[in-house]
Amino acid sequence: MKRRTVLHAMGALAAVGALSGAGLAPAMAQARKVLVIASNQDVPNFDPHIATGYSASAFLRNVYDSLVRVEGNPVKVVPSLAESWTVSPDGMEYTFKLSPAAKFTDGSPVTSADVKYSFDRLIRLAKGNAWMVAGIIDTNSVIPVDATTVKVKLVKPFAAFLQVLPWLWVVNAKEVEANKGSDDGQTYLRSNVAGSGAFRIKRAEPGNLYEFEKVANPWKTGGGNLTGAIWRIIRETSNQRLAVQRGEAHFALDLTAEDMDALKDKPGVVSVVEPEFRTFSIKMNTEYGPLADINLRKAISYAFDYKSMEESAGYQQLMVGPLPHGILGHDPNLPVPRTDLAKAKEYLAKSKSPNGGIKLTMVHVSGLEQQRRFALVLLDSLKKINIDLDIKPMVWPDMVASTASPDKMADFFPVYQTANYGDPDNIAFAAYHSSRNGNWQNPVYKSAKVDDLIMQGRAETDETKRKAIYLEFQKQVVDDAPDIFGVLEKRKLAIRSDVSGFVFTPVASNAIEFFPLSLK
Amino acid sequence: MLIYTVRRLLLLIPVLVGLSLLVFTISHLLPGDPVKLAAGPQATQAEIQSLARELGTDRPLPAQYWSYATGLVKGDWGQSVLTRRPVWDDLKIYLPATLELVIAAMVLAVAIGLPAGLVSAVYANRWPDYLSRTLSLAAISMPRFFLGLLLQLAFAMWLLWLPLGGRFPIIDEPPPFVTGFLTIDALVAGDLGAFATALKHLALPAAAMCLSPLATITRMMRASTLEVLQQDYVLTERALGLSQRLILFKYVFKNALSATLTVIGLYVGWLLGGTVLVETVFDWPGIGLYATKAIVTQDFMPVMGVTLAIGVVFILSNLVVDLAYGLLNPRVRYE
Amino acid sequence: MSAAVETGPRNALSSRWQNWRRGAYRFRQSTLSIVGLVIVALLIAVALVGPYVVPHPEHVAGGVSTAMRFRPPSAQFWFGTNELGQDVFSLVVAGSRISLLAGLAVVVIAAIFGTLIGAVAGYFGRWVDEALMRFTDLMLTLPSLILAMAIAAALGPGIGNMVFAIAMSWWPGFARLVRGEVMAKKEEVFVQAARALGAGAPRILMRHILPNVISPIIVKMSLDMGFAILTVASLGFVGIGVKPPTPEWGSLLSLARGYMPDYWWTAIFPGMAIFLAVFGFNLLGDGLRDVLDPKARR
Repeated sequence: MKRRTVLHAMGALAAVGALSGAGLAPAMAQARKVLVIASNQDVPNFDPHIATGYSASAFLRNVYDSLVRVEGNPVKVVPSLAESWTVSPDGMEYTFKLSPAAKFTDGSPVTSADVKYSFDRLIRLAKGNAWMVAGIIDTNSVIPVDATTVKVKLVKPFAAFLQVLPWLWVVNAKEVEANKGSDDGQTYLRSNVAGSGAFRIKRAEPGNLYEFEKVANPWKTGGGNLTGAIWRIIRETSNQRLAVQRGEAHFALDLTAEDMDALKDKPGVVSVVEPEFRTFSIKMNTEYGPLADINLRKAISYAFDYKSMEESAGYQQLMVGPLPHGILGHDPNLPVPRTDLAKAKEYLAKSKSPNGGIKLTMVHVSGLEQQRRFALVLLDSLKKINIDLDIKPMVWPDMVASTASPDKMADFFPVYQTANYGDPDNIAFAAYHSSRNGNWQNPVYKSAKVDDLIMQGRAETDETKRKAIYLEFQKQVVDDAPDIFGVLEKRKLAIRSDVSGFVFTPVASNAIEFFPLSLK
Repeated sequence: MLIYTVRRLLLLIPVLVGLSLLVFTISHLLPGDPVKLAAGPQATQAEIQSLARELGTDRPLPAQYWSYATGLVKGDWGQSVLTRRPVWDDLKIYLPATLELVIAAMVLAVAIGLPAGLVSAVYANRWPDYLSRTLSLAAISMPRFFLGLLLQLAFAMWLLWLPLGGRFPIIDEPPPFVTGFLTIDALVAGDLGAFATALKHLALPAAAMCLSPLATITRMMRASTLEVLQQDYVLTERALGLSQRLILFKYVFKNALSATLTVIGLYVGWLLGGTVLVETVFDWPGIGLYATKAIVTQDFMPVMGVTLAIGVVFILSNLVVDLAYGLLNPRVRYE
Repeated sequence: MSAAVETGPRNALSSRWQNWRRGAYRFRQSTLSIVGLVIVALLIAVALVGPYVVPHPEHVAGGVSTAMRFRPPSAQFWFGTNELGQDVFSLVVAGSRISLLAGLAVVVIAAIFGTLIGAVAGYFGRWVDEALMRFTDLMLTLPSLILAMAIAAALGPGIGNMVFAIAMSWWPGFARLVRGEVMAKKEEVFVQAARALGAGAPRILMRHILPNVISPIIVKMSLDMGFAILTVASLGFVGIGVKPPTPEWGSLLSLARGYMPDYWWTAIFPGMAIFLAVFGFNLLGDGLRDVLDPKARR
C-alpha cells in the first residue's frame, strides 16, 4: 500500500501565519497565494441547509463554520465555533460554549441565537444534511442559555451526534432574516453567503470556476498563508491530472486508477492514496421483479466476478459485508459470497428461473466511467448463468426519481456512499434502515430484524455492546443478500509538492479545507 | 440601400417571433419534467406544485409562451431551474467566449484558405493543386473533436508548447471585462502579456474548428480564380503587357472578398452550433458546454436561450453579409 | 399494344443509359471518386462480415478480460486493448456496422420526411407552400447539433432514439431540395396530361412527379451520408447516444479521452475509423453528384 502523504508541522505554519499578520502584511498582500483545485463537480447551490455533494461540502466548510470540526487520521472531533462542550451522562443533553472571538464576515458576533436559528431552519426545510439529525433533534431541541452558551436536548439517543455536527452549518440569523423573502431565505442564500468562515466568495462562474478570497481578519487564528483559492471545474479526469502535472492546479480530486499510475514518479507531484469510508455496492430490487427471489439474489452474488471488479479499477479493496473496513464493529472475517459458479448454479436451480434465460436491467450514472465498468463486469458474470443484462445509463436525477417506488426501480442499482461521519451508524442507517426506502441510498430493502439492530446500535453508548450489535447486523444483512457488496474505493488525490499543511482525513477528504494550507 | 436595410430589419421581427415560438414548442414537446428534477428527489407533491407555481409552469402553454416572449424583449430570458440563475446573465459570460472562438477560427480559415485557393488555381492540375484539393476534402471529413484530441495530444501533452484547455490560466486575473473577448479586453487594458496568453489558449481550439470553412474557402477561391484567369479580359490585359501579378491582385482581391463573405454567411451559424464538440475537448467555457450541461440535466430554459441566441446571431450575420455584398458588388440590386 | 407506345419507354431508357455511361466515364476519370468507392466498399464489407470474423466477438457483446488491460498494439491485439482488456480492433470493426446503419437510417428518415414536406409544399403552392417553407427555414436557423442533442437526451439513450433525434434536425435540407424540383416538374407536359385525365394529387405526386425527382434526392443522400455518420459519432462523443456495451465509434473515442496520452491507441483507432468512413462517403458522394446530377457540376 502506498502511503506518501505529506504532513507538515502545523506549528511551523502557525508561525508563518502569525508573521504575515504582523508588519509584513503589505508585502504579503502583493504576493498572491492562490490555491487551485481541479474538480469535476459544480456547486449547485450555496445554501448551507440545502446543498449536498462534495463540492458543496468543500464550498460550505470554507465560507461557513459549524460548532465542531473534524481533523486528522484517525478522525478527531475538535473545537470550532464551540470552544468546549459537555455531555450529560445519559448522552441526551449537550452543552456548547461558543468562542467569544467568533464573528461573521459582517463583523457581528456568532451567538447562541444564530445557532438555534440555523438548526431550526435546517429542520424546517428538511433538505440537505437534515437527514443526519432527522428524528434526533427537533425545533425545541436547541435552547440558547446565554449569548455564548447553547444547550441541545436530543429527542432520541444518538451515539454519533458529535460526528454529524461538523456538517450542520451556522448562518448569520440577522442577515438571513433581513433577506428572508417568502421562502425562508432560500433565494438569498442560493447565491449569497452569510457565514463566519475564513474565506468568502469573490467570483462565481457556474460550470467553470468559483474564486474565494481570505477575509481581512478571520476570527480563527493560525492557519496557512493562502490569500485565496479557486475551485476550477475540469470535467475530464486526465485533464485534471495533466493540470496538476503542469503546475496549473494544486489539487486534483477526481482521479482514476490510470491517472494515479501515470503520476507515479512525476516531479513536483505528491500522490495520496488512502483508504476511506467510501463504499460501492450494487443494490438489488428485493421488492419487485425477479430479484425479489432471494435464491436468485444469492445465485448472482456467487456468480459475480469479484476479481474482475477488483482488476477493472485499481486502488481499492473488496468489501467484506455491508460495512467498510476499519469502521467500528466491522468484521474482516465475515463469511461473504465470493465467485463460485457451482454454488451459483445450486441457488439458481432453487430459484423461479432454474435455467436462467431471463433479462435483467441495470442503471448507472451516465458518464461515470467506473460504474460503466462494473456494469460490464456484471454483464459478463451473468452470462455464465445464462442471464442477460440490459445496461441503461441515466442522469443522476432520473436515477434518484426511479427509487421512489419498487416498481420503478431497475433490478440493479449501483450506489457509491461516502461516510460523512466515521461511525457504522452512518452507513447502516442510510443504506439499510427501512425508513430510508424510496431514497437512493436504500431504495427498497427492508427487514424488521435489521431495523431493530440499527436502532439498538444508534442508542447504545457502550462501545463493546455496540460492536456486538453491529456484528449481528452484518451477519443478518449478508444473509438477506440485498446487495452485491462491491469495493471500498481508496481516495485518490494528486497534490503539488509546494502545498503544505495538508492532513488527510478519511471523511469527506475531497472537500478540501483551505484554512490550514500554505503555498511555497 | 438605407430603405433596404430598414426593410430587412423589420422583416426580422416575424422571423424572431417564429423562432421563439418554434424553440418554445419543441422544448415543451420533449418528455421530461424539469420542475420535478429541480424540486429534488425528496420533494413532496405539494412542494413540486408550489415550485411549479413559482416557476409559472402550471399555467396554460399560451400564457407561458406570452410571458416568455415578452420577457425576451425585456432581456429576461428565463432562469435555469437548477442554478436559478437568469439565463441572460449566463449568456453574457458564455456567448462572448464562443464568439471569440468562432471568429478566431474564421480568421484562421480565411488567412490560410485564400492563399491556398490562389496557389491551387495558379498551379491548376499540377501537384500543389492536387495537394490542396485532397487536403481540403480530407479537412471537411475530419471530425473536429478528433482533430482537437490529436492537437491536444501533440502540442499540449507531448510537446508541452500550448495549454491543454480553458481560456486563461486559472490563477491569473483575466483582463477587466469590456467586450468579453479576452484578446480584445487584454488589448484595451494594454496588457500585451495577457493578450499573448489569451492567444495561446485560443490557438488549438481555433485550429480544430477552422477546418470546414477552410476547405470551403479554398475550393471557392480556387474556382473563382480559375474563372478570372480564363476570362477574355484577363487574356487581353495580359497581352497588353500588364504583369501577371497585377492582374491577379486586381481581380483576385475582389473574389477573395466575396468568397470570404459567402463562407462567413454559411458558417457562422454552423460553427456556433458546432462549437460544443470543440468546447468539450478543450474545456472552453462557452455556450456549447453550457448547453450540454443543461441538456444533460433537462434544464430547458438555458437550452432554449442558447438555441435562440445562436439563431439570432445566425440571422444577423446573414443580414450583415447580404448588405456587405451590396457594397462590394453594386450590380446586386435591392428590391 | 401499338408499336408507338412501345418505343417511347425504350428511347427514354436508352437515353438514360447513355447518361449513365457518360456519368460512369466521368466517375472513372476522377481518381478521388474511385478512392472513395474503394473505401466505402471496404467499409460495407467490414460492416457485413466483420462482426462474425473479429478475433474477440465476446468483447463486442460486452465481455471483459480484466487481466489484459491496456495492452499496446501487437500481433495479438492489432489495435491494443482498452480499460477492461477488450480488444480495440474487435470493437472498432463491430462499430462499423452501427455507424453505417445509423448514418443510413438518419439519411433515409430525413429524406422521407423532407420529401413529404417538400413535395406537399411544392405541389400545392400558395399558403401551404408559404407555411411549410417558413417552418423549414426556421428549422434551418436552429443549431442542428444542439437540437439533436436535446431531443436525444430527452428520449434517453439508445440507437433508435439517437437516429430519430438527428433525423429531426436533418430533414429541412431535403424539404427545400424536393420543393424546388417538384415545382419545376409540376408544370411539365406529362403532369399536366395526368391532371387532365383526372388523376388526384396523391397519385400525381407518387406516380408521376416523385419518380422524376429521385435522382437529386439520391445524390443528396449520398452527399449527406458522411456527415450523418459524423453527427452520430458526435452525439456519442458528447456522451448522449448509445447504451453500453454498444461499441459505437464516437463513444469509444469519448471514453478513450480519459486515457490519453499514455494509452493513445484506445483513442486513435476509433477516431481514424470515423475519419475514414466520413472521408470515403464524401469522396464517393462528390463522384456520384457528377454522375447523377451533371447540372450541379461546376
